[in-house]
Amino acid sequence: MSGRRFLLGVAAAATLVSAGGTALAGKADDTLVWATATEMNTPDIYYGNQREALIVTYAMCDSLVHRDPLTNEYKPLLATSWSWTGDHTLDVKLRKGVKFHNGKEMTAEDVAYTFNTLAPESSGMAFRALVDWIKNVEVVSPYEVVFHATRPAPAALEYLTGTSPIFPKGHYDSAPSVPTADGKTRRDYGAVLPMCTGPYKLQEYKPGQSLTLVKNDQYWEGSPKGKPHIGKIVLRTIPDVDTQVSELMTGGIDWMWGVPPENAKLLAEQDSLTVKSAATMRMSFLSLDASGRSGDNPMKDVRVRRAVFYAIDREALVKNLIGPGSVVQKSMCSMNQFGCTDKVPDYPYDPAKAKALLAEAGYPNGFDMTFYAYRDRQYTEAVANYLRAVGIRTNIQFMQWGALRPIVVGGKAQMAHLTLGSNGMLDASASTSYYFKFTGDDYARDPQVRDWLETADTSTDPEKRKEFYAKALSRIQDQAYFVPLYTYGRTYAFNKDLDYPLTPDEMAHFYLARWK
Amino acid sequence: MLSYVVKRLLVTLAVVVVISIVAFSLVHLAGDPAVAMAGENATQQDVDNIRKVYGFDRPFTEQYFSWVGRVLHGDFGRSYYLRTPVQPILAEYAPVTVRLGLMALAFTLLLSIPLGVLAALRPNTLIDRFSLWLAVAGQALPSFVFAMLLIFIFAVTLRWLPVSGGSTWWHFVLPAIALGYNATPALMRLTRSGMIETLQSDHVRTARAYGLARWRVVLRHALRHAIIPVVSLAAVQLGYMLGGSIVIETVFSLKGLGYLAWQSIQRSDIEVVQAILLVIAVVYAMLTLLADLVNAMLDPRIRIS
Repeated sequence: MSGRRFLLGVAAAATLVSAGGTALAGKADDTLVWATATEMNTPDIYYGNQREALIVTYAMCDSLVHRDPLTNEYKPLLATSWSWTGDHTLDVKLRKGVKFHNGKEMTAEDVAYTFNTLAPESSGMAFRALVDWIKNVEVVSPYEVVFHATRPAPAALEYLTGTSPIFPKGHYDSAPSVPTADGKTRRDYGAVLPMCTGPYKLQEYKPGQSLTLVKNDQYWEGSPKGKPHIGKIVLRTIPDVDTQVSELMTGGIDWMWGVPPENAKLLAEQDSLTVKSAATMRMSFLSLDASGRSGDNPMKDVRVRRAVFYAIDREALVKNLIGPGSVVQKSMCSMNQFGCTDKVPDYPYDPAKAKALLAEAGYPNGFDMTFYAYRDRQYTEAVANYLRAVGIRTNIQFMQWGALRPIVVGGKAQMAHLTLGSNGMLDASASTSYYFKFTGDDYARDPQVRDWLETADTSTDPEKRKEFYAKALSRIQDQAYFVPLYTYGRTYAFNKDLDYPLTPDEMAHFYLARWK
Repeated sequence: MLSYVVKRLLVTLAVVVVISIVAFSLVHLAGDPAVAMAGENATQQDVDNIRKVYGFDRPFTEQYFSWVGRVLHGDFGRSYYLRTPVQPILAEYAPVTVRLGLMALAFTLLLSIPLGVLAALRPNTLIDRFSLWLAVAGQALPSFVFAMLLIFIFAVTLRWLPVSGGSTWWHFVLPAIALGYNATPALMRLTRSGMIETLQSDHVRTARAYGLARWRVVLRHALRHAIIPVVSLAAVQLGYMLGGSIVIETVFSLKGLGYLAWQSIQRSDIEVVQAILLVIAVVYAMLTLLADLVNAMLDPRIRIS
């Protein structure tokens, strides 16, 4: 073979190989391919609580109420109006003429079916706060239902937003019977693929691998979500972030999130990509064993807890380590949640004061303590370094969440570095009340805080709710039961051809995206 | 012979039973499946509810016997996480790993044997030093670093090959190279030393004395003898590749068995982990049994002892 012929052969082979690797993504194919490291366990958000499932739910399903992701304003979606007719009854009028993807019209029967199926504990739903306020849903007319609540539920509207899609009556009839570990059987509702009324239709789902949505051309006029623009949306699970970055650079995918800071700069330099960062609702904090559940320990002394607060330079952590989109967290809730306030006692970085407080509490030479953590080890180590500087020497026990969880709820953690995303709920009941109502996670066990939160959680008067959340948050901070540290930021990188709105709710609203 | 076969069968059965108990226990010790399934933001009530609905609150022995009963009926259960029956999941993930392993083996043999032969024919020359350098580099470089290097050169810069995924054969080229390269040094050094030894043996000298062509002496007379230990090592390396492909499968987003096992352990998807462990254990036990029986047939001293 002559040298020239050999080179031609190599070139031909290279072209073939290159063609084999071309991924269908981008404007030319009207296909938005997005990647994430997390495998969904089901696209049914009632049975899986990952962000990925929620993103897919927003695209293919409608709920009764829509919370505008840019303004946080509640807008009618499948419900046209709603009103509390008593402390325990919510009257909801429904939209006429909306069709499910199978062509059937949505009526009150479907709404009642969805919630009456999920509300009982036996449904095995993953995140029960969404439905445990519902006693039952009564059909009043084909386009009107009444929710009968188990208790006053001021956060009900929040629960009826995108996290609660409406399925057609009989949807779960095809759920398979699955043997349980005790030899009996249960119905696995989460195995049924969602059937909804949303802007996109589910075309294919390969568990653990990919999910494909196609545009619903029949999507109803006037939806606050708007008509969908992009023809096809494909989710790919790519566990390695560096591989996602490579795919994005070569056009294999159009969108990724969770870009590490060290890659963000490199991607921002690419002409074909846009890189942006935004805040999220996930907050990071220290849980301190103030009530001594784990036995007698220094954290029972409020001076020691305050010393922990003073010892950590949260501003520096956010600026130098956590990165874009992150802010210092002031109190035990996310600032975009109803009822949250940052007007609480503050503890600016003051290591000298921390040492003085420790000495006053009887620990002039500091003490040793076990410090549990499970996420972002480098952040935990930074916190531990601050604590060591004032004399609190920690033995970091870093473990998987599944292993740490029983230790925390079992009352064995004197100090733990935890995070909470509130499941995207814009209500302080999903954050503050989660930790201070004598549950397994509550290491404060303060009856005063618990009672104030109970009042705030169940009052239907918004002003009263705000007042009682503020009182509880103030006391939590004053007593330094928890040490709020920082909120997480997220960096997104995507195809420059994509007109994609970045929202502060740590979500991807692909139904709003379009090609430029 | 019959009593020998019965004895071996009973031992194999005992091994499988012990492995099944160990597999079942280990997975339960690894973490509370109800916690993993409920997710990070779940309340204790959510976790307790899942534990009850899935039957994880039942005594360990009751859960074990329920599982064994189903497995004996050919039912590996359903993945708690992926929510589909386990058998089709295994059927989908296993071929990816087998394909990757075989392609990696082919790559490593195609690279290591010719280089080993050339190094043996020209000891202490440039080609010998090059192969030594290649061996040292192969052993020193972690496979994930090498994988990222390959992605950077062939996928990102040259754009010849896809970055990740497994929909075509092309998708397996870079992962197979990344996986196979790690096994190359050992095979190449063994080929080289075997060849040097064989080339100095009497029968090769005789073949040369007969005036046979040089390539014929090298390939037909020397390599045939030198390659026997290489084949044994290659089989072992294939085992390592199948077991050690987790990193490569993760980097290239290939959904193979190693990746599945790792993911399933992380999310306490016990039905899948138990099935993988049991299948691997049974395959190994059966292969061992088969080898014992074949050896016994070939050598009567074994069955008598």
